[in-house]
Formats: sequence, structure tokens, C-alpha cells
Amino acid sequence: MPTVRLRDASEYPAAVRKMFELSREWFNHDFKEPPAMSRVMAWDPGFGAPHGRAMKRAMAPGEFSRGEKEMVAAVVSGVNACHY
Amino acid sequence: MAGDALWYEAAQVVGITNALNVAADGLGAAGLTPVNPETAAAEVRAVFDEIRAFFGGAAEVPAPFRLIAHDAGYLADVWGAARHAFADNRLPRRLKAALAFAVSLTSRSPFGSAFYLAEMRRLGVTERGVFEVLGVTQMFSSYTKIADTLALEPDMGDIAPADPSPAPGG
Repeated sequence: MPTVRLRDASEYPAAVRKMFELSREWFNHDFKEPPAMSRVMAWDPGFGAPHGRAMKRAMAPGEFSRGEKEMVAAVVSGVNACHY
Repeated sequence: MAGDALWYEAAQVVGITNALNVAADGLGAAGLTPVNPETAAAEVRAVFDEIRAFFGGAAEVPAPFRLIAHDAGYLADVWGAARHAFADNRLPRRLKAALAFAVSLTSRSPFGSAFYLAEMRRLGVTERGVFEVLGVTQMFSSYTKIADTLALEPDMGDIAPADPSPAPGG
């Protein structure tokens, strides 16, 4: 069980809810609720916004494709034994 | 990256990378003497020659293989698994080197970080590509720790559809 109460998308201000729409576009998936991580990162836009931008820069297609980078991300998550 | 086969290959790379790094970083630091290729038994030298050729005609046999070569049969089997895992297959070798580099960075392996960085470069990855892998590794090292600190439960499993194909030969 999470150590914090995850807020529903509707509890966030309108400006932040736009980030959730970007998240839906990023994953190209129609979530019932934005992923828990998206809601966590939206809690404090002062951290979440630049962190999210850094992530999108890192994941953008370049010498490695987006798919290849998703695999690198999965491997890093596995080595970190991340349950999420 | 759809289809389970790609992910099985990636998992093999993760596993064998860790295995080699454990030997190189652990045994090397512990002071175990690596086998000298010049004085090794013929069967060990034959495996060493294969290893050097696989890694682009490397001047030296990578440390983890020299460290485990005290048992020729074990060396041959570990090398067989490593060669299979790192060879071009559904995933290209260049991506496998990148995965191994990410694994090594994440697990703080001095040997692996240096070795697979050199492998990526040897296989044609430029500095831009190296920093792409570094960026993904760094960002997901952050995300995973945030998720774990808050004990978030997985909620993104529906993004990728299940692969209904049977196991090879099934």
C-alpha cells in the first residue's frame, strides 16, 4: 500500500491536469486514472515539471529508438528491483 | 519492442552481465589470481581465443573470463551462455551492449561500466548515443526510487498486450 494517499486527477488544479493529458499522449493509452507515478510527479510541479522534461529528453528518439530506450528503462528498473 | 522474445533476450543480457560483473568486481578485488592466457591449458586458450575474437579481436581476454578460467569446463559453459546472450539475434548487439552498460551503471560495477562503454563505442555508438543511454539510466534510477519510497503499486500493466505465442518449439 502506498505510503501517501494518491490524489485522483480531479483533485489537482486545472493547469496540472493538463500534464495528465500529456501523460496520456506520451503513453498512447487511455488510463482510467493517470498512472500513480504521474500523479506523484504532479504533486510538486517545481520538481515534477523539470524531472518530466528531462525524462522526455532522455527518452526521445535519437541514436536509440524510443522502444530501445523503453527496454533500457525496464532493465534499469529490474536491476533496481523496482516493484512499480 | 512488442513480443516476449525480445524481453527474454534482454533478460539474458541482464543476467549474464551481472554474473560477469560479480566475478570481475568481486573476485578481482578479493585478490583471486586470473589465469594467464600464455600459460593456460590448451582448452582454456581455445576459449580465450574465441572470447577475444567475439569482442573485436581484443588484445586482452576480459577479466571475468580470466578469473573463472581455473575450471575449464565452467569457463566454457559461462562463455557459451555469454556468447549466446550478447550475439546479434532479435535484438542487435549494439543494443545489448547498451543494456549491459545500463545494468553496470545501475549496479555500480566499475568493470562493467568501463567494459560495456568500450563495447558500445566499438559497435558504433557515438558519444550522443552513450549519453542517451546514460540519461535513460539516470532518469529511471530516479523514478524507481521515488516509486519504491512511496511504495507505489503497479498500475501500468495494461499498456502492453500479452504475447499469446507459445514457447519456442511449443
